Amino acid sequence: MVVSPDIALQVVIWGLYAGCIYILLATGLNLIFGVMKIVNFAHGELLMLGAFVTFTFFTISGFNPYVLLAASVPILIVLGVTIERLCFRPILGTGKLNEIFISLGLIYIIQNAAAIIWTDEWRIIHSPYESITISVFGVNMPLDYLIIITTTIAILIALYLFLRKTTLGRAMRATSQNRKGAMLMGINVERMDMISFGIGAGLAGAAGTLWAVSGQVFNPYMGSLPAIKAFAIVIIGGLGSIPGAIIGGLIYGIAENFAIFTLGGAWKDAISFLILILVLIVRPTGIFGESSE
Amino acid sequence: MQLAALAAAAVIPFLLGANLYILTVLILMLVFIIYSSAWNFLTYTGQGSLGHAAFFGLGGYGSTLIAVATGLSPYITIFIGAGLPALVGLFIGAICVRLKEWFLAMVTFGFAIIIQTLMVSQFSAWSGGWDGIASPRLLSSSIPNYLLIEYYSILAITVLVIVLFAIILRSRIGLAFAAIRENELEARAAGINPVKYRLFAFMTSAYFAGVAGALEIHHMGYITPEIFGVDISFWPVIYSISGGLGTLAGPIVGTIVITLLWDGLQSLGISYARYIVIGILLVLIIIFLPKGLVSLPGRIREWMEKRAKKA
Repeated sequence: MVVSPDIALQVVIWGLYAGCIYILLATGLNLIFGVMKIVNFAHGELLMLGAFVTFTFFTISGFNPYVLLAASVPILIVLGVTIERLCFRPILGTGKLNEIFISLGLIYIIQNAAAIIWTDEWRIIHSPYESITISVFGVNMPLDYLIIITTTIAILIALYLFLRKTTLGRAMRATSQNRKGAMLMGINVERMDMISFGIGAGLAGAAGTLWAVSGQVFNPYMGSLPAIKAFAIVIIGGLGSIPGAIIGGLIYGIAENFAIFTLGGAWKDAISFLILILVLIVRPTGIFGESSE
Repeated sequence: MQLAALAAAAVIPFLLGANLYILTVLILMLVFIIYSSAWNFLTYTGQGSLGHAAFFGLGGYGSTLIAVATGLSPYITIFIGAGLPALVGLFIGAICVRLKEWFLAMVTFGFAIIIQTLMVSQFSAWSGGWDGIASPRLLSSSIPNYLLIEYYSILAITVLVIVLFAIILRSRIGLAFAAIRENELEARAAGINPVKYRLFAFMTSAYFAGVAGALEIHHMGYITPEIFGVDISFWPVIYSISGGLGTLAGPIVGTIVITLLWDGLQSLGISYARYIVIGILLVLIIIFLPKGLVSLPGRIREWMEKRAKKA
């Protein structure tokens, strides 16, 4: 099927914006993986909570939903720290299957707690800029997309500066490079675990707010698919590599939108796995991942 | 022990009264015992799957389509139809054989979703799309006590499957599985081909997951693509972990305990909170009882002895 350049550009821009939300999720997953060497499969549930926190504050206060990032991120950070302390720390180092299984338990708990609080209806919130489109490079783009892309870039730059320039950030990177070495240098690695999980959860919260603001529907059970896509991105980009997550997220967002456009909407969710599986067949450690062993 | 359990399974419909509700619960329990045991079989080689619903569902579709096309009894088509998930399992296994842990978990999870998508899009002419298709019943409901007969026939199949697993695991194959799980490099040095055994485990596990799926579908009389749902993939994981991974009794104990808990909570009128209870139970078991419920009697005995010593 022939795709005209105009439409192709449009699809790329949709993909960029969709990619942004996945990048925030995938970066969080990678940060946690880097420091703790665990994979939090319940990460999508944190995104879902971020969306619902935004929803609640939005209906109560009527603030501009973008401002509500200031609510969803701190709340999710606190929750992330709690989850790390109660669930993941006790099983750290007891085998890799356990963390997958404990995430399963968390998925059940978080999804259904949310269903009790917010009921299982699909929700949507409307951004104040919903009807505004602007023209960038000759492509019509909703203003919301532009804000979401800018916000994501701002968050990623803030994270970069935190990891590179602050003592705490350096300590975290040291822990992710060599846990024992970091411990010997007097870094409290367990504190790093908590902080990395907190930041990862906070990023998921931000992704949740952006998800809600972008006009996508959400209900308590929607978290699994974005999480899996984020995971696919992490694998494409290589476990633990944050630049990989960003590139992977962009590739993924664009590929997904092209797939919907060419194969049809039924493939929206399955395409992520096709990409994932193809990547894993060629490179079992991901495109940018270091080869293990 | 095994005989006692078997005797209990044989008399339980009479003790509880063979009404429709109880028999349905018992039949589904048996189906899920086969399913979780098949899932658990895979973990003997150190592999895990989050997408066994793919095989469960394909077994259901395979058997249904064959039964509809040929008019054979579902009791026969179940074992032919399960060949479909076994083939797909071989294919997925071949792709996954180099992957471990979370990679494998994700890829298997993904396959369940891809297969669901294929069923509702490309293959909807055969599968009926999201609406699904009717499936021949195991036994016609005009036969007196048909559910009771169904229960005993499925019980027989369950026992055969578990005995088969026990035989395989006690043979050289079981030893090879253990060697691969503990240390793949050393296993290879000892002349064991890990790829061959992993594929065998994957295929066997997929086959019996398919048998379980076909049994459930022929019991229900209907199949829709919802059978590939995430829930169906997660149940055998939850059952096996709570019972005890890597033991034959684990999936059986886990299925019985969790199903009873699940249905018990339902009869109390609890819906969402049921999942929360299961989730919390799962987290607690992983943290405090990593070998599952089957290790509970031993743990209690230990604890009693410690107390006795102190006193």
